[in-house]
Amino acid sequence: MDPYFRGDVFIGVSDLEGVAIEQAYLTATSLPWGIEARLGRFLAPIGKQNTTHRHDLHTVEYPWVLQRFLGPEGLRGTGLYLSKVLAPFGFYQELQLTATDRLGEDDESLVTSEPINTRLGALGYSARLRNYLDLTKHANIEISGSIATGKRAQPASGLGGEATAVGVRQTLAGIDVTYRWRPLQQGLYRSLIVQAEWLRQINGRFRAPNGVEYEGPTRDFSGGYLFARYQTSRRTYWGARIDRVADPAAGGDPLTAVSGYYQFYPSEFSKLVAGYERVSGAGSAAYGRVIFQATFALGPHRPHPF
Amino acid sequence: MRAAGFLLLATLAAATDATGQLRVVTSTTDLADLARQVGGDRIRLRHISEGYQDPHFVEAKPSFVLEMAKADVWAFIGLDLEIGWMSLLLNGARNPKIRPGGSGYLDVSKFIPVIDVPSGAIDRSQGDVHPLGNPHYWLDPANGRRIAAAFAAKFTELDPGGAADYARNLAAFEAALARAAEEWAPALASLSGKPIVAWHTSWRYFAGYTRVNIVGFMEPKPGVPPSPSHLAGLVATMKRTGAKVIVMEPYYDRKTADLIASKAGASVLVLPPSVGGEKGLDDYISVLRRNITSLARAVE
Repeated sequence: MDPYFRGDVFIGVSDLEGVAIEQAYLTATSLPWGIEARLGRFLAPIGKQNTTHRHDLHTVEYPWVLQRFLGPEGLRGTGLYLSKVLAPFGFYQELQLTATDRLGEDDESLVTSEPINTRLGALGYSARLRNYLDLTKHANIEISGSIATGKRAQPASGLGGEATAVGVRQTLAGIDVTYRWRPLQQGLYRSLIVQAEWLRQINGRFRAPNGVEYEGPTRDFSGGYLFARYQTSRRTYWGARIDRVADPAAGGDPLTAVSGYYQFYPSEFSKLVAGYERVSGAGSAAYGRVIFQATFALGPHRPHPF
Repeated sequence: MRAAGFLLLATLAAATDATGQLRVVTSTTDLADLARQVGGDRIRLRHISEGYQDPHFVEAKPSFVLEMAKADVWAFIGLDLEIGWMSLLLNGARNPKIRPGGSGYLDVSKFIPVIDVPSGAIDRSQGDVHPLGNPHYWLDPANGRRIAAAFAAKFTELDPGGAADYARNLAAFEAALARAAEEWAPALASLSGKPIVAWHTSWRYFAGYTRVNIVGFMEPKPGVPPSPSHLAGLVATMKRTGAKVIVMEPYYDRKTADLIASKAGASVLVLPPSVGGEKGLDDYISVLRRNITSLARAVE
């Protein structure tokens, strides 16, 4: 934009939202003490994969726990992001803080009698501490913790008028671990990534006044995943993921999924994936599905995500 | 007493900062060695990629960010060699000195007569073409001199007190390179016009200096892994031209090269493209000497 700001805009096309601005923010690049600030609409830095765009995922789709807890398009908001890189113990640490207009996006069918984010305490807030350590020149590990909180619209009846929901606090807390191995000399042909993430959704308990029936969650939910992907040649990768999440949409009935996939990169700019996933639980009959995915890059060469 | 302790700590901290050394981070080991030749002990040096690693595919590890956050100079090859990772590190470092336009941002390619600049329209069907030209320029000694001179100018700009040291070091490096060139001149003469095959376009500048004739590449297009049909054509080309050597970097899988060499009656020669590409090759001139003399023996 200019010597002091960088501008980033991500426009996504999806069945759910059509053409929509996924993220659009200004980044202040010249703040003192190595602080980075962003202003605009962005994905909240909670968990490992929420800030990863779908085409950059190591798997085909977002893990079930993220889809169930953060929404199918991820947890994002409009507001302020601050980040500071630290190294008090000799390794990389980064503290990321956000304050946004709300904690994610509520179901459009839910109408509250007044906006739920009229008070500072009801806005969306998140904090994430990344800890990255090189184990050797070829291997590294990242262990990070995240927390986010804010009010969300939850369904209720008997509220009067057109209101169908009330604002109730929801907090998300999680930890994620990523191990990467890539031998420097053979790095074009061999690599391994193993990642695990666990999230807990903590729902506030709404005290319904007389005549009002609260229909939102009355308990907390947890879930997580473990995945690994191994590179067998310059063009090919094999991966697998195990998901398990207490599904809030099914009253906490656990959803379990096991998937495996094969990735083929004809070149650096295209990716073909074939996979199979078996899903069971969450109050429905078990089913299997075959997945095909094609990804291609247009325009200038983009940085390789890490 | 407490105040005295604080003063002592402050004094120690000031002494550490007052070493006067420029903190220099380079993208490759070749740039690091040339910076060391010129900067000597007036600079503190780090590099990102290793000499035995493909510099296109470096991982943008957060630990590199810590190095770059403190740098006075960020020197890189440019021409999109580092396009896959450099912007992530620069953004993560949050260091205005080494951002584009900053005093320590040194795009070394600006001092190089670049070859292989595409003319006309380019698109992805041509592979990973570098639209600004071939970035593997350090393997021509004339460009090594240019890089060293660029470092001398940048270091003098940022540390005028060291101008005399930088000028002296630059002259010493140029003299050493000239002596080495005399030493390998017979090998160089024997290479002129000899047909070879290379894996990637990274040997184009080296070929320009040695005058070997690259008759084909293992990659059908830059950055695209070899396909069976391309390799079949390459074997035919090698037989037709008499190419007896396939030159490749240590980070490519030599099984494919060995197979093609066996079919074409040739041999595979793994050459280090950078400082540190092999054990013991710790400086720029050693890398040039190793490559020129080894290739001369291989094509005899």
